[in-house]
Amino acid sequence: MIELAQNLIDGLGRGSIYALLALGVAVIFGVMHLLNFAHGEMITVSGYAAFWALGAGWSWTVVVPLILVVSVVTSLLIERLAFSRVRGAPDFTLLLTSFGVHFLVSALLLLYVSASVKNYSRPGWVADTWSLGSLRIEVFDTVVIVITIITLLATTALLQRTMFGLALRAAAADFDTARLMGVRSNSVIRGAFALSGLLAGIAGVFWLMRAGSTNPTAGIDPMLKGVLAALIGGLGSLRGAVLGGFALGLAEVLLRSWLPNSLASLTEGVVFALIALLFIFRPQGLISVTHAERV
Amino acid sequence: MFPNPGRDIGFSAVGAIGLFALLAGGGLLYQLIIGTGSAERLVTTMLIDAIIVIGIQIYVGNTGVLSFGHVGFGAIAGYSFALFAIPPEEKVKRIADAPWGLVDVSVNPWIAMLVATLITVAVAVVIGVGLARSGAESGAVAATVITLALLFVTHEVARNWPDVTGGDRAGLSFPIGGSLDSRVPIYVSLLAALLIARWYAQSRSGRLAVAAREDNLAARAMGVNPLVQQMAALLISVAIVSVGASLKVYEEGSILPDNFFFNYTLLTLVMLIVGGRNGVTGAVVGVMVMTAGRELTRRLGQDGYELFGLGLDDAPLDWIFRENLQMVFLGLAMLGFMIWRPAGLLDDREFDEWLQRKLGSRGAMTTDQPAPLPELTDIPHASLAVDDVDVRFGGFQALAGAGLEAASGEIVGLIGPNGAGKTTLVNVITGLVEPTAGTFKLDGSDVTVLAPFELARNGLVRTFQNLRLFGALTVRENVEVAAMIAQQHRAERTLRDADDLIAEAGLWDLRDRRARELDYGNSRRLELARAAALAPAFLLLDEPTSGMSDEESLAMVEQVRHMAATVGAGVLVIDHDLAFITGISDRIYVLDQGRIIANGSPTEVQADPAVQAAYLGSGTS
Repeated sequence: MIELAQNLIDGLGRGSIYALLALGVAVIFGVMHLLNFAHGEMITVSGYAAFWALGAGWSWTVVVPLILVVSVVTSLLIERLAFSRVRGAPDFTLLLTSFGVHFLVSALLLLYVSASVKNYSRPGWVADTWSLGSLRIEVFDTVVIVITIITLLATTALLQRTMFGLALRAAAADFDTARLMGVRSNSVIRGAFALSGLLAGIAGVFWLMRAGSTNPTAGIDPMLKGVLAALIGGLGSLRGAVLGGFALGLAEVLLRSWLPNSLASLTEGVVFALIALLFIFRPQGLISVTHAERV
Repeated sequence: MFPNPGRDIGFSAVGAIGLFALLAGGGLLYQLIIGTGSAERLVTTMLIDAIIVIGIQIYVGNTGVLSFGHVGFGAIAGYSFALFAIPPEEKVKRIADAPWGLVDVSVNPWIAMLVATLITVAVAVVIGVGLARSGAESGAVAATVITLALLFVTHEVARNWPDVTGGDRAGLSFPIGGSLDSRVPIYVSLLAALLIARWYAQSRSGRLAVAAREDNLAARAMGVNPLVQQMAALLISVAIVSVGASLKVYEEGSILPDNFFFNYTLLTLVMLIVGGRNGVTGAVVGVMVMTAGRELTRRLGQDGYELFGLGLDDAPLDWIFRENLQMVFLGLAMLGFMIWRPAGLLDDREFDEWLQRKLGSRGAMTTDQPAPLPELTDIPHASLAVDDVDVRFGGFQALAGAGLEAASGEIVGLIGPNGAGKTTLVNVITGLVEPTAGTFKLDGSDVTVLAPFELARNGLVRTFQNLRLFGALTVRENVEVAAMIAQQHRAERTLRDADDLIAEAGLWDLRDRRARELDYGNSRRLELARAAALAPAFLLLDEPTSGMSDEESLAMVEQVRHMAATVGAGVLVIDHDLAFITGISDRIYVLDQGRIIANGSPTEVQADPAVQAAYLGSGTS
């Protein structure tokens, strides 16, 4: 019982980060029909910024906003240099473009920044825990869950209450019609990339705090989590993406505790296989955004 | 068969041999010029990469489904091969605890390759069923994710199952000096891969797969079951990749999980798209271009960037030309081609087709325009009956007891204002929507629940309101695909030759144009000719005049009548243009708010007060 509760909290903590990543992936999918395999690059690049800043003696208080800014700027730059040139292209082209961005960014970092893993100091409180009865809860998980809830509420408000949010939701529902109704595609798409970059930045802060190091291919892991969670939730559904993130986090933690020791190292593989199965039986994900077959 | 200069299997074989000569000859020439052991290794690697890329092309090119999983299949084949081919005394050093007596197994490498291929193809059957279930079609994201999952799962298993794979660091290896020492097996496999790839593209299955790649829905509506063709393409493709992967492991003498992961996936995909994924020639050219580019950038990145013997020692560019420069090159190539030339250098152009045009232009291959076809006199009787059909979407009743009948030889019109339920009725008849109640019968047998491709095979063929042609295929190929399906499934009918129907539709001079280059009117005519080539008992035309001027609509009336008479099909035509429908139909049904409110001859229907009310909104009904 205690163990289950412990696992649930642990899973919610992980899931929160995945939810933020997945939401960013879903926002971009909504406006561009692009499944962004380069979504982790914001975290890779911010990781190097954090390494540099911490090495120069900056404190985490300053590094956190720095990560957010670097993440948003990276997202906008990638849109400007690559994705803006393939708008409206077939899915095949979009998928490979984002795959290409991922490889190019990691190759550039490998050649021109550093081939080795860069370690930096994590904030002191990351390993702290507090107790609730016999439950031991990580301070980190608590902070992650609280900040994620605030972020999700703020994002909801942004999407529901502002003109930009309305335009974005309209574009996600039907991009062509939204354009005909006067939604400016440039500003919506750029806004979506900024929002996606910001969400990746918030997730990135947590990710980098916990990791304590970065390397040229560090983006693969968060990218996969975000993409998978968005897929689980049903691509195009923002609410589904958030649910997918939590589902993925919980699934990982629970599998890790249930699988026999000899298989524990295969957790990621098992999760991936389960997702493949989900897709085989429900290709539209958990929450389906149905589009009638147009004839 | 139908005459078609583009489809001579002999030429394809010549083309495959030509591509083989290009790869092998280019490699030998390079070795001769450079003359070092490293040049020899580079060429061997290129030839093996070519086998794997050609394998991937068979699936990705013909089906349009982007697969990240083929390198994962390669990993399965590579490990299987290593486990069977490496001698026991070598395996004991790494994987003494392997289950199922794997340590003691020792077979000849060629048997091992065969076993590895069979194992991998068996896995591909399972994955293929999954892909089919996920509704794989060109560019389908779900299918791509399943292939990505395969890549990751194989990698994870390879890393975390050291008892069998030797794990992350050690891997499996052959005794030193004991691996592949002749290029003959590589040459043989490469030539076979090229021949198979060109043969598949020309085969029935390959052409149907390409049709579905170009337009999945239209292909299904014509009687193609794309999932079957995709499975065929996948299995052939995976078999070739397995052979290539086994050779790769044999040649390198060892296997590690990372040898078959992200980087190799990137490399093979870049090779495929740079040349042009839709053609075998493109794949071959891509392999050569990228091998050369990668080698060049690798050398530039080395210290002092020695370039083919030319030592460029001064170092103003050292800060750009660093170690691993080829990684940046690969990323840039992927991105650059996707942005500026997504179809690759050659798109789907094939060496043998070019060769054939060159030779064919001397006269032997040109055919004269066929003579006009007589109308079919002896039409087999057929009937179509929709009875009391209800369709509900949630709380909305789109159809409420709608029904209609049609028989061979007549033209039946269905008309109704917007929102009357016309499209829903069309979707019921064509198998896209299953009705909540009611039946749909073709020649007396219930076909309510049949899939679109089964309906087409039973003689009900449709056209689409918003034109669905196979854009990359020529006019002739569009019609030929239909004729090919008719030969298999409609053999009891009088089949018309594809060329005759093209001439009949007035498209003879445009027969070698790609369908996407046609103007609107010609596209409509092509769609009609393609539907006629399926030897339908009934043609269902969905808004055939939408977007046409009045004169064009009038011309369309004649064309529809003539085409239908040529193949002996009954016609059911749906439109909201009253003038067009009354001009073309023998009988008319009027649909309003999900019900048939009137039916009869054009004059009767026009005089009906209920119809006037529905159309003009005047008076009471």
